[in-house]
Amino acid sequence: MNIRLSTAVAAGKTATFFSRRLGLGAGSNFPGKVILRLDRKATEEMALQLEGGCVLVTGTNGKTTTSNLLAGMLRAGGGNPVHNRVGANLISGITAALAQASDGRGRPLGDMGLFEVDEATLPEAVSRLNPRLVIITNLYRDQLDRYGELETLARKIDGALAELGDEAVVLLNADDPLVASLGRDSRARRYFFGIEYEGLSEPGLRHAADSKHCRVCGAPLTFSVNFFGHMGKYSCPSCGVSRPAADYAAAEIELEGIGGSRVSVAAPAWKMDLHLGLPGLYNVQNLLAALGGARLLGLGEDDIRAGVEGYSTAFGRGERIDFGGRTIFLVLSKNPTGFNEVIRTLRGEGEGLVVIAALNDRIADGRDVSWIWDVDFEDLAPLPRFLVASGTRAEDMALRMKYAGMDTSTILVEKDPRLAVTAAADEAEEGEIIYALTTYTATLDMRRLLTRLGAAPGYWEEA
Amino acid sequence: MAAPVSLRICHLYPELMNIYGDRGNIITLDRRCAWRGYGVEVSSLSIGETLDPEPYDLYFMGGGQDREQILVCEDLHDEKGKALRHAVEEGAALLSICGGYQLLGSHFITYTGEELPGISLFDASTVGGEHRFIGNIAVQCSLEGAGGTLVGFENHSGRTRLGPGCRALGRVLKGFGNNGEDGMEGCVCRGAIGTYLHGSLLPKNPLLADWLILTALRRRYELEELPELDDSLEDAAHRSALRLTLGERSRWRRLAGRS
Repeated sequence: MNIRLSTAVAAGKTATFFSRRLGLGAGSNFPGKVILRLDRKATEEMALQLEGGCVLVTGTNGKTTTSNLLAGMLRAGGGNPVHNRVGANLISGITAALAQASDGRGRPLGDMGLFEVDEATLPEAVSRLNPRLVIITNLYRDQLDRYGELETLARKIDGALAELGDEAVVLLNADDPLVASLGRDSRARRYFFGIEYEGLSEPGLRHAADSKHCRVCGAPLTFSVNFFGHMGKYSCPSCGVSRPAADYAAAEIELEGIGGSRVSVAAPAWKMDLHLGLPGLYNVQNLLAALGGARLLGLGEDDIRAGVEGYSTAFGRGERIDFGGRTIFLVLSKNPTGFNEVIRTLRGEGEGLVVIAALNDRIADGRDVSWIWDVDFEDLAPLPRFLVASGTRAEDMALRMKYAGMDTSTILVEKDPRLAVTAAADEAEEGEIIYALTTYTATLDMRRLLTRLGAAPGYWEEA
Repeated sequence: MAAPVSLRICHLYPELMNIYGDRGNIITLDRRCAWRGYGVEVSSLSIGETLDPEPYDLYFMGGGQDREQILVCEDLHDEKGKALRHAVEEGAALLSICGGYQLLGSHFITYTGEELPGISLFDASTVGGEHRFIGNIAVQCSLEGAGGTLVGFENHSGRTRLGPGCRALGRVLKGFGNNGEDGMEGCVCRGAIGTYLHGSLLPKNPLLADWLILTALRRRYELEELPELDDSLEDAAHRSALRLTLGERSRWRRLAGRS
């Protein structure tokens, strides 16, 4: 018995208990730090005891949704994954999740590790956890003030993937030129997921598109189809690099507003139709990532379907919460492409909406709020009859909406989330939906507030 | 009746140099003209296209990542750089941010030792440093007609030093500025401004936005000053950012500044 590990795990469990009791919310990183302080190899010591190995999900957007979907599929297949489902995706969060699922000796009571990992943390996670499968959803310019530039991040990820052995597999987004270029030097076999259906494409690249140049030769890429952001069907006219064929593809998609979408998935030798209860094309990609991962782990069609259909919305990602007879539709919107897609979904909801837009600038959101000027808020401006700008940078948000064309008399600046929600609820009619678009920690704030007011269950109470 | 006033903006390399919400500056110039009843034309000029300085009153160039910066450096090196310098000498206004600012100086030596020659529009030279300067920044602006404070966000590893041929845009109140040492931020030469502030810069600094508009329009119109706008939201955002920046503890700055 490893006494150092046992002590660390016990301390971690105690820390988790207190951080929950004290309502520290995102305290999921704190217990992990306690554990690592006592045993700095605790993460790998616990993870190595998982029979089924580890799966890592990384990318700028969609890692929480993808890993939650995949966890649902694994559970439907009789598995019991250890999973950091509240979005605590640094090494400390993964460590805390392992400890929480472990017995007193630090042996995890699960058969596989399924962890979402912060993009910049992937190299450390790979060397500690030696994953059998790495899923990369997309790479957008996000929180540049933390990570530097996208190319630098891509190089770090390449370095991490090069450490994988030939028994490992990597599942990449074919629609994202930067992601599809990753892992060329890796011994791990590469698989791809992507959208084949062209009926929902946009007329041209949006301003917020990031990876518009060929990673190999630097020439501008040609997009024959553009889905959103820099997602599409592309090729390089200069060196001939083009989008890889998708192993797991959406052959047909029908979007149904905030209600979700119908997707026909085609993969070699099989095909299935699914209803996904999550809005927007970006969630179709998350579905494909989870489904591809499930297939690569050997799951069957029934488990995948059960996982998708039994999916309960990930914390703050398209959740509907009743509040005083109104419904708050809470959707995490943390970077330009994510925000543009949320706005695209809202456009299907008509005009005269009541909207809360909450912008925070804490470390986890990115201290730099410049990115709001890359979002096409001009498309949102005609929709609200009343908009509450909230969060630590509420004035910046309000100013963005003014320059996007909103009449300032319909904008309320209210930093405090409680007062923001109250003002929106006063404006909304009985039964009306309040659309809350919130950055990462603003989502946590909003969720914590609604929990305290009794409108939403605490995030740790979720299954 | 006088001819209707219109501002002609040339956005340089919009698809390459746009890293930190730089589009917000163009949106701001556009809206603030439109609210005053002025016309606005924004033209894009990119790699391989010839610059004819005649039809533009104001030039804008944002920041870019390393690879984009090298492409732009090569493209500016020939006639285009000369034409841009000529335009500023003839009284055009110009705003350049971060990477754009660096390329308009005399040279930029990257941290890896690569030398990118500039076009010497500014008497300024930049050397790449090991650590990035990242964080909120507040500056006491010394520009005539746009006094007061400037607020923004900086994120750069380049250390810029000014020569005698130009002066600083202002003095750093909080943050790093040009090089983190001499307390200076940005650079002004005639109607041209270079700065490390994004955020975007102009929305929360409407005095500077109007200084650029007025400078640009004076080339062709007899204007003493611009009609006033209701800037209460702009001022609130400026005050809020200023308060936040000046009140920041250095702990945050160190955390955010780790490379």
